[in-house]
Amino acid sequence: MTQAFYLAIRSLWWHRGRSLILIASLALTIWLPLTVRLALQQFRDEISQRAGSTPLVLGAVGSRMDLALHALYFEARPPSVITMRDARVVDESQLAAAIPLHIRFRTQSAPGVDGVPIVGTSPEYFEFRQLQPAQGELPALLGECILGSAYAERSGLKPGDTLLSAPENALNLAGNYPLQLQVSGVLSASHSPDDFAVFTDIQTAWVIEGIGHGHQEITKETDPTLLMENDSDRQGVTVNRGVLPYIEITEENRDSFHFHGDPDEFPLTAALAVPASDKSRVLLLGRYADTSGKVQCIQPPQVIAELLEMVFRIEQLVWICSLAAAVVTLLLLGLVLSLSLRLRATEMQTMFRLGCSRLTIVQLQSAELLILLLTAGTFAAAGGWLTVLAAGTAIRSLLF
Amino acid sequence: MLFRHSSLRSHCLRPIGRLRCEARGAADGISALDGIMIEIEQLRFSYRDSVFRLHVPQLRIEDGQSVVVAGPSGSGKTTLLNLIAGILPAESGRILIDSTCITQLADPARRLFRLQQIGLVFQDFQLIDYLDVLDNVLLPCRIHPSVRLTDALRARAHDLLDAVGIRQHSRRSIVRLSQGERQRAALCRALLLSPRLVLADEPTGNLDPRNSGRMVELMLEETRRAGATLIMVTHDHSLLSRFDRTIPFESFLEHQESSG
Repeated sequence: MTQAFYLAIRSLWWHRGRSLILIASLALTIWLPLTVRLALQQFRDEISQRAGSTPLVLGAVGSRMDLALHALYFEARPPSVITMRDARVVDESQLAAAIPLHIRFRTQSAPGVDGVPIVGTSPEYFEFRQLQPAQGELPALLGECILGSAYAERSGLKPGDTLLSAPENALNLAGNYPLQLQVSGVLSASHSPDDFAVFTDIQTAWVIEGIGHGHQEITKETDPTLLMENDSDRQGVTVNRGVLPYIEITEENRDSFHFHGDPDEFPLTAALAVPASDKSRVLLLGRYADTSGKVQCIQPPQVIAELLEMVFRIEQLVWICSLAAAVVTLLLLGLVLSLSLRLRATEMQTMFRLGCSRLTIVQLQSAELLILLLTAGTFAAAGGWLTVLAAGTAIRSLLF
Repeated sequence: MLFRHSSLRSHCLRPIGRLRCEARGAADGISALDGIMIEIEQLRFSYRDSVFRLHVPQLRIEDGQSVVVAGPSGSGKTTLLNLIAGILPAESGRILIDSTCITQLADPARRLFRLQQIGLVFQDFQLIDYLDVLDNVLLPCRIHPSVRLTDALRARAHDLLDAVGIRQHSRRSIVRLSQGERQRAALCRALLLSPRLVLADEPTGNLDPRNSGRMVELMLEETRRAGATLIMVTHDHSLLSRFDRTIPFESFLEHQESSG
């Protein structure tokens, strides 16, 4: 068989143009389903891993899938919000530790750098996800933020720099203004959606939303027209629109920032619940089993398993299409090889006349086919691996 | 008749090695084969849908002889050579080569016999384009089911190329050689496995007279050195005098309408 391979290699090299076309078409036929499989496998592993490490999520009633994707991947904004009280109730029940999440705003896009979600949360989130700062430190003050590693790399921002939040609606003049955030650090890479986000304290997120704000000290202002009412009984003032809120939190104005209203009523888009034990998890789930309430508690692994079922169906569809393409390619390969045999009839005739056995001629042809398939397979495997490696992020963003 | 058909058939169905040993013995009546390389008896062949009829009543060629089969172009000389080589199956009759009855061998055994015992030189060279000169010469080894390509065989190939004066081209692509050089490479291929019989089918057909003469001399010299029997077919009467024996081909034809 060694001799058959030697002759096959010489023949393929001699007809290298034809060989290259055959290898390319075969490689593409193998590459497509292989890449889809590898990409989906990677996607499945990542999504399962993330879901598996997130036991419970609290959120407003509605789509369980949207809530899971929102809390895990900072995507798919839920239809409604819950309040800080809902998280506090869980915390005080001693059944689980609640980690608040407020994900409504994004950073402003820059040329070549898309905006990423701004995640308002508590310091427990970093501990829960085992996120450590690679540079600088975790946000400790109002107006500070820490960057996910991938975003930091793309944007080129580093501790000490600033970034702007994007307004929810640029056309709404009465809406919230962009807030300039101070970068306190950069997280180490976690190969998760955390790499593509910016984290702030939950109170900073509320400031971005406009619930908390800072502005000029009106009572000391010399311009009396700015002050519309001073109610000393309620210890409150009413000012007109001429008083502009600060759009940056600095050392000088940090103390002027304040919140209006009951903090328990402040909004959260979701909250992670880390149960103390399995029993606590079951008890907590039981508390939210009543679907008529405003809050639901979901198990991400279960929800993601449902999503993966859908992915599995898509994968099957891709496989069927790939199979059809493979059949067509193999038929074409058969045609090319049979035509090639016809072109090489003289060569085969020479082999026969010299005394070559039928088996040897079959071995020669098989060796050529095997080399073509193995080379194409190797290229397809390498291509698939490189594609998934290089485009893993793109595939993830495509799927979400 | 020198042989009994039923006895020959029973021998011919056995493996080549045993058949040769037994055929060499005198027990079955094939006793006069010592010193005879080829014996043909009542060989008949015709092509389907053709009036071409070949009949060789009897032909014996001695071991080590150089024989030329002469006849006009397209008369069927190649057909006879192909019958001797076992490339074409005979309708009837028998061909004994070195005491082996090849007309009774099955196709795989006939191919193996051809590969092992017969060196073939074709008119159109039939060299493989994608192999270089050395690999073309080594081709019989590469397609042989049991012969291993050893250093000794490589050395023999180089010696043969050296003998015919094209060793310096051993790694050159075959398509870059001249007609004469290609024919010499084809001769080296035929001689590589030291065959007992060399069949050359108009090997000078594509060469000019000067090169034809040189090629024939080379073939005679190399086959003599190897102790092989040479049968060459040609329509070139100027070459006949160089051979030990000339067989006029016309006598074998019963009818002919077209080339064979």
